[in-house]
Amino acid sequence: MELEEETPKQHYSDTEKQNIFNNEFMPHINSMYNFAYRLTLDQDDSKDLVQDTYLKSYRFIDSFQKGTNAKAWLFRILKNSFINDYRKKSKEPSKVDYQEVESYYNSEEVDRQITPDLRVEALKDMIGDEISNALNSLDVDFRTVIILCDLEGFKYDEMAKILDIPIGTVRSRLHRARNLLKEKLSEYAKQMGYKTI
Amino acid sequence: MNTLNKWVIKLYEPMSNPDQSHMKQDCQNQRDCMQMLQLIVDGEASSEQKEHFLKHHLEECMPCYKNYHLEVAIRQLLKTKCSDQAPQELVDSIKAKVIQNLAH
Repeated sequence: MELEEETPKQHYSDTEKQNIFNNEFMPHINSMYNFAYRLTLDQDDSKDLVQDTYLKSYRFIDSFQKGTNAKAWLFRILKNSFINDYRKKSKEPSKVDYQEVESYYNSEEVDRQITPDLRVEALKDMIGDEISNALNSLDVDFRTVIILCDLEGFKYDEMAKILDIPIGTVRSRLHRARNLLKEKLSEYAKQMGYKTI
Repeated sequence: MNTLNKWVIKLYEPMSNPDQSHMKQDCQNQRDCMQMLQLIVDGEASSEQKEHFLKHHLEECMPCYKNYHLEVAIRQLLKTKCSDQAPQELVDSIKAKVIQNLAH
């Protein structure tokens, strides 16, 4: 079980378990729900996913070392549960071929195409669901890195652990994810009548 | 830790109204600059990197200046528009289930 690999098993009393759960795990419930919702894009699925994750976290609490990064630990469990239990049944299109996508987006070509024509003023007028829709329209793996980094403030090394990928991949995936998000936002800006040069 | 990073970014915040007539309109190192910008916004750059990029480069390079402000604005928009709160019934149900588990 992946949760048991790094730290030696702890032996908490029931009171300690409850304290850890209430004071270190539960404060992250909003972030966890938001992560689940952005992964599944379905309110019922996200509730189930968060509940499963919290029950798992309690069941495997002896694998958690008190005072360490509870949020990263919980996010990793949630992400693994999503891949194992939800990704298969979700309406998400079948997983893209990463090699292909990564090498495509790594090419100089794409960097040159970056449209810096999106302007801050256009963003200020996006007071509705534009940014949320733009984020949700990205492939789940690109969506994930933006959530972890921009919304939740995880560092690259923490993201690497949560996602089980090297730091270099975290950085390149983030770079591409942000470019895709900007492209999407530029489309909205155009629709809103902002001229792009 | 994140609060600290935000504070550091604030500290080096480039001026908001640079003298545009003296700025370069093209960046020779846009690819490298975008990578540096990313490190800075993500709180992963060293203080020397931040000092150089935010205090010196941004004040003379128009494309990078614009990109920096765009990145910051997108993050702010994401934070205000894409943070959904957990429904209270979910919080209650999780707490109840865990207490139930404890009893066994």
